[in-house]
Amino acid sequence: MTLTYKQDAVQIQEVCPPTESSNANLQEQVHRVTLGKQQILVTEDEPLLAQLERAGIHVEYQCREGYCSSCSIKLIWGQVSYPFEPLAWVQSGYLLACCAIVKSDIEIAFFD
Amino acid sequence: MSYSTFNRKQFDSMKEPMFFGENVNVARYDQQKHPIFEKLIEKQLSFFWRPEEVDLSTDRKDFQKLAAHEQHIFLSNLKYQTLLDSVQGRSPNVALLPIVSLPELETWIETWSFSETIHSRSYTHIIRNIVNDPTLIFDDIVTNKEITKRADSVSKYYDNLIEMVNLYNTMGLGTFNIPGKGEVEISMPKLKKALYLTIASVNVLEAVRFYVSFACSFGFAERTLMEGNAKIIKLIARDEALHLTGTQHMMNLMASGKDDPEMAAIAAECQDDVRNIFIEAAEQEKDWAKYLFKDGSMIGLNDQILGQYVEYITNVRMQAVGLEAHFETKHNPIPWINAWLVSDNVQVAPQEAEISSYLVGQTDNNLDDSDFDDFDL
Repeated sequence: MTLTYKQDAVQIQEVCPPTESSNANLQEQVHRVTLGKQQILVTEDEPLLAQLERAGIHVEYQCREGYCSSCSIKLIWGQVSYPFEPLAWVQSGYLLACCAIVKSDIEIAFFD
Repeated sequence: MSYSTFNRKQFDSMKEPMFFGENVNVARYDQQKHPIFEKLIEKQLSFFWRPEEVDLSTDRKDFQKLAAHEQHIFLSNLKYQTLLDSVQGRSPNVALLPIVSLPELETWIETWSFSETIHSRSYTHIIRNIVNDPTLIFDDIVTNKEITKRADSVSKYYDNLIEMVNLYNTMGLGTFNIPGKGEVEISMPKLKKALYLTIASVNVLEAVRFYVSFACSFGFAERTLMEGNAKIIKLIARDEALHLTGTQHMMNLMASGKDDPEMAAIAAECQDDVRNIFIEAAEQEKDWAKYLFKDGSMIGLNDQILGQYVEYITNVRMQAVGLEAHFETKHNPIPWINAWLVSDNVQVAPQEAEISSYLVGQTDNNLDDSDFDDFDL
C-alpha cells in the first residue's frame, strides 16, 4: 500500500535563517544536523527520527506517526517540513522527529 | 446558566470558545473551529479494538508460575489501572459535557471516554482469565490504602469542577452559602481556573500515571511472560497516547489565548499549579514503584530504575505543554520500552498486520487515467 502525500498540507517551520549554510556545492538534499558536538548528514528521503537512529542516537518515540509527541526535539535553527500535518501539538521552536523532513542544515537539542 | 440538551438560541458556533460559551445545539461537523478534534475522533475510531480479540489462555499458566512478589506487582498494577480507567471512563463526560461549546470537541470528549470504557472492560477480561475469584481483586481497589491515596489525587480536580459547575447551572454566578462548605464563590475566572487545572491533571493522569504499569507489563513480556496482557496494554497505550494529545491541545489552545483570551491569563496564572501537579504525580508514582517492589523486584526492573523512568517521562510530558523539565534524569533508563509502546506493529487481527489504523472497507478512489496506461484490451 502506498501513501499519497498531500502537497497542500506541507508546512514549513522556520526558526531563524541558518547562517551561511547552503552556499557551497553541497549535494542536493543532503543537510547537516548539529546535535551538541555531533554532526549527522541527513537526506530529505525520510523523516529525521529514522536517520538519527541509524546514526546511533537514541530518540524517545512511541507512535512514530505524529500523534503522541514523544519524539519532540528542540529545533534551535533551520527548516523542517511535514508531509502530513501531525496530530500532535508542535510547540514553536520544536520539531516532531518521527515525521519531520529536514529541509536545510539544522541544529537540534534534547533537554537543556 | 442552566444546561439545555438542545440550545434554542441562534448563534455562530465557529465563534464560541471551547468551554463556557453557549451549550452545543446542532451536532454538526461540516465546519469546525478546531479541526484537530475531528481528526482525533477519526484516529480514535480507526483504533477500535475489543479485549476479547486477544487470547489470554497462556497468561493464566504464566501467572501461576510467577513468584508471589511478582504476582503482587502484576495484580497491583491491574488494580491501579482499573481505578484510573474507572475515573476516565466517566469523568470527561460528567465534568466537561455540561460546559463544552463546540460540537467537534463535544464528540471528541464522548469518543475519548468511550475508549476508556473499553480499557476498563479489558481489565475485567484479564482478571477473569488469571484468577478464580475476580471479586477479591475488585473489592481491594476501594480498600487498599496505596490505591485510595491515588484515587484522591486523580479525582479531586474533576470533583471540584463538577461541584462548581453544578452550582453555576442551578444558581448562576455569585457567592452562595452551601451547608457544610460555607461561602462558595462562583465566578467565571474561578470556573475557568478549575477547568484548566482539571485538564492539566487529566493530562498528567494519561501522560505519566499509566507509565509505571505499562513498564511492568512490558517488563514481564520481555521475559515472554504474560504476553496476552502485554498485547492489551499495547492497545491501551496507543489509545492513551492519543488522549494525551487531546488534552495537550486543549491546554495549549487555552494558554495561547487563541480560543478564549481570558483563558490565556488563567493559564499563565496557573503555571506553577500545573508544574506542581506534574511533580506531585511523579513523586506519587515513584512511591507506587516502591510499593510494587516492596517484597522483591523483577528481572530488569526495580524501584530505582522505574523512578528514573517516571522522572524522564514527566520531563518529556512537561515539555510538551510548554513547561521547563523539572527532573535531572535526561535519558530514558529503559529504552527497550519504546519498542513495546510503538503502535505500528500492534496487531489485533491478521488482516490488520500491516497498519494499526486499519480502516474497514477502505478503497482507494484516487484513480487517474494514467493508472490504466499499461492496460491493453
